[in-house]
Amino acid sequence: MRKALPSVLSVVSAIILCFFAAALTRDFGTAVDAFLAMWWGAFGDWPKFFETGSAATILRPLGEAGTKAAILTFTGLSVAVAFRVGLFNIGAQGQLVVGALAAAVVGAKVNAPGFVHVTLCLAAAAAAGGLYALIPAVLKLKRGVHEVISTIMLNWVAISLVDNWLVIGPLKATASGDNSISGTDQILPSAELPRLLGETSRLNFGLVLALFAALGTWLFLTRFTRGFEWKAIGLSQDAARAAGIDVDRGFLEAMVLAGAFAGLGGAVLILGTELKYPATLGAPWGFDGIAMALIGQGHPLGVLAISTLFGGLRAGGTRMQLFGVHKSFPELIQGLALLLVAAKLLWERLLRKRGTP
Amino acid sequence: MIELRHITKRCGTTLALDDVSLDVRPGERLALIGENGAGKSSLMNVLYGLYQPDAGEVCFDGRAVKVKTPAEALVRGVGMVHQHFTLVPTLTVTENVVLGHEPTKGGRLDLARARREVDATCAKFGFQLDTGAVVRELSVGSQQKVEIVKALHRGVKTLILDEPTAVLTPQEADELFAVTRRLSDEGMAVVLISHKLREVLSFATRIAVLRRGKKVGERTPAETTEDELARLMISGDVPLSPQRGEDRGEGPKPIRLSLTNLSAPGLTNVSLDVRAGEILGIAGVDGNGQRELAEVVTGLRPWTSGTFTLDGRALTTWNPRLAHQSGLAHIPEDRLRRALISDLTVEENVSLGRHQSAPFAKGPFIDFTQRRTITTALLEANDVRPREPELRAGGLSGGNQQKLVVGRELDAKPKLLVVVQPTRGLDIAAVAAVREKLFAERQRGCAVLLVSLDLDEVLELSDRVLVMYAGSISGEFQKGEFDERVIGRRMLGVKDA
Repeated sequence: MRKALPSVLSVVSAIILCFFAAALTRDFGTAVDAFLAMWWGAFGDWPKFFETGSAATILRPLGEAGTKAAILTFTGLSVAVAFRVGLFNIGAQGQLVVGALAAAVVGAKVNAPGFVHVTLCLAAAAAAGGLYALIPAVLKLKRGVHEVISTIMLNWVAISLVDNWLVIGPLKATASGDNSISGTDQILPSAELPRLLGETSRLNFGLVLALFAALGTWLFLTRFTRGFEWKAIGLSQDAARAAGIDVDRGFLEAMVLAGAFAGLGGAVLILGTELKYPATLGAPWGFDGIAMALIGQGHPLGVLAISTLFGGLRAGGTRMQLFGVHKSFPELIQGLALLLVAAKLLWERLLRKRGTP
Repeated sequence: MIELRHITKRCGTTLALDDVSLDVRPGERLALIGENGAGKSSLMNVLYGLYQPDAGEVCFDGRAVKVKTPAEALVRGVGMVHQHFTLVPTLTVTENVVLGHEPTKGGRLDLARARREVDATCAKFGFQLDTGAVVRELSVGSQQKVEIVKALHRGVKTLILDEPTAVLTPQEADELFAVTRRLSDEGMAVVLISHKLREVLSFATRIAVLRRGKKVGERTPAETTEDELARLMISGDVPLSPQRGEDRGEGPKPIRLSLTNLSAPGLTNVSLDVRAGEILGIAGVDGNGQRELAEVVTGLRPWTSGTFTLDGRALTTWNPRLAHQSGLAHIPEDRLRRALISDLTVEENVSLGRHQSAPFAKGPFIDFTQRRTITTALLEANDVRPREPELRAGGLSGGNQQKLVVGRELDAKPKLLVVVQPTRGLDIAAVAAVREKLFAERQRGCAVLLVSLDLDEVLELSDRVLVMYAGSISGEFQKGEFDERVIGRRMLGVKDA
């Protein structure tokens, strides 16, 4: 619990700092209104609920928060598992893009009964992301290419390939009637992730998947001998190698799992909310995953908690516009929190050094 | 005359120096002895301007002076030669010596004049050095001379030598002492930091003993003995030096490890055998292939030609995992790099290497209960303090870390043990504990390959000694015919005895 303190403090101070920024640029009252709107938009409009008794006032915001949280959790886990073996996976965005495309294609082109179809789409997305992440891992092992460089570059390869060619070219949806369509074909209803709250919200089964992924990762890293090996590799490759641990295999496995998680994040986005690969993916979910992993300090449950918070703030952020405050404040809070976490870790290290010479 | 008065220096929560007073007088050879971490180097670093004392003062000829940097210390005539040399390997001896205060002509370096001046300094103090040679190509002993000349060239009156013989062969050490004796005869003060009692007794004119940051005694060699000094250094009784067990006279034991004409990067044509129940020592000056040899045997470095035979079976593939499975244990030189992971807990480190199989694992899962039981027993059996399985391994002291590594490696009941520098940086009690374990392994029938830069240690522990020079074996000696002089010559690559 004590280890979570720097993250909690960072997030709280980021929110406070951003609040003052809003208060200074606008006025205090507007800032209060806007931030409250964001909060109610994130975690349920409780005052309105008690006033009107309408469940939707709570469920709709929460549903939206959960939808966003699921995707952030997957990309956050992607960065976190790679980080466990000491690799910095900046490529979650690229892996998410190829995963999303794989889910969209399988969802639209394959015919299968409901449960099987969804599973096929998810498997295809995980495989696509995993394989895409295998490239930097192999490059690192065979040719010594640093994974930060290769994953960053592969992001742009994926984005250019998918967004700038496939989606507007070979895989473009066939137009029907007068409607001009962007993106790929709609996925079949059998490929859609089941909604959890019916028509009230877009919240879907993706959140359950994310929950299981985070819990499963946590159990794997703490309870399994292989998870222990990953930890050893991440802390000291030399010692791990000398202890007979196959460091290369650890790198490959962790990167493939990282890619699979990012790919699943893409699948949840497509199968849950977009229902096709759209012309633009919206938020840079993969890059946000880096922030989730760092603020969550690489802990799967920390990633889950932080993703839930920022998923919520993202969902509520749009409501700030009603008060003339820009909706990018959640991103501002996220960036600031990341900065503070980085500084906090530095701080802690300094304190520890002083304590034990 | 220099007086250190009531020096106190705090490092974090521990007192590195606690009210220490010491005089350094012209013409004397003062030895500063104590265990690792007793404060010897800290005290001299205060005098040399590297550390600022929290309390107390440094007086030169009765006047208190704040020495803020080594440059100020040099101005006041204090020079220090550290354990790790501070030379630029690609520059010549002359360039290294004048570095920082080069003679110039019209704003440009006057190398000819520099060389003349350095030659003059060498001649004046009786050093034989090729001042035009590139430092990288000199032996360790000569590099140390360059360090000393560097200090003398700046006109120091007090020369501090920090563990100068740790890296030298016996001949080189003798030469060093002869040279420094001459310096003190000419009126310079020489301070020797050491923990080798024998050399201290033969060299020093006065001996100061530090223990846990306090000065616990001053003696002259005439009025003291090795035994008394050792008792002063460690409060209480000196642990008996461990005894090797009796040989059971069963004739030659089977050969465990055999290398034939083995070559690898850093090794050429190495052939050796290690038998069960034998400690084979590898002696040599640092950087002559001993490290590479240990890495090849433990599977960390591939070999390029020759055969590697283990228990009569020639190996084709070899890596640390196979080594573990074949009953090889490894106590590496750098425990925090290769043996322990400082950010893992003690118990996680105990399982490291054996974490995959019972009793440390149940199927794919970690067996937390067994791990705790085994760790608790291991900490107890090896006297690792504190006995906290959940402590970060990096939080243990060096000695306890080493006891943990030794305990873990021997707990697997190895058939072949590769040990590199097993007692470096340990205090006397920990050294005795580690050596006792090695002897016990020998008695149990384990084949032990011991690599150490400390010749005394190799000679004390080994049944047989191989000397390495430039990646090859340059001599073999049986116990009973060890001759430090001959071994020392082999360490320098001199063939004829």
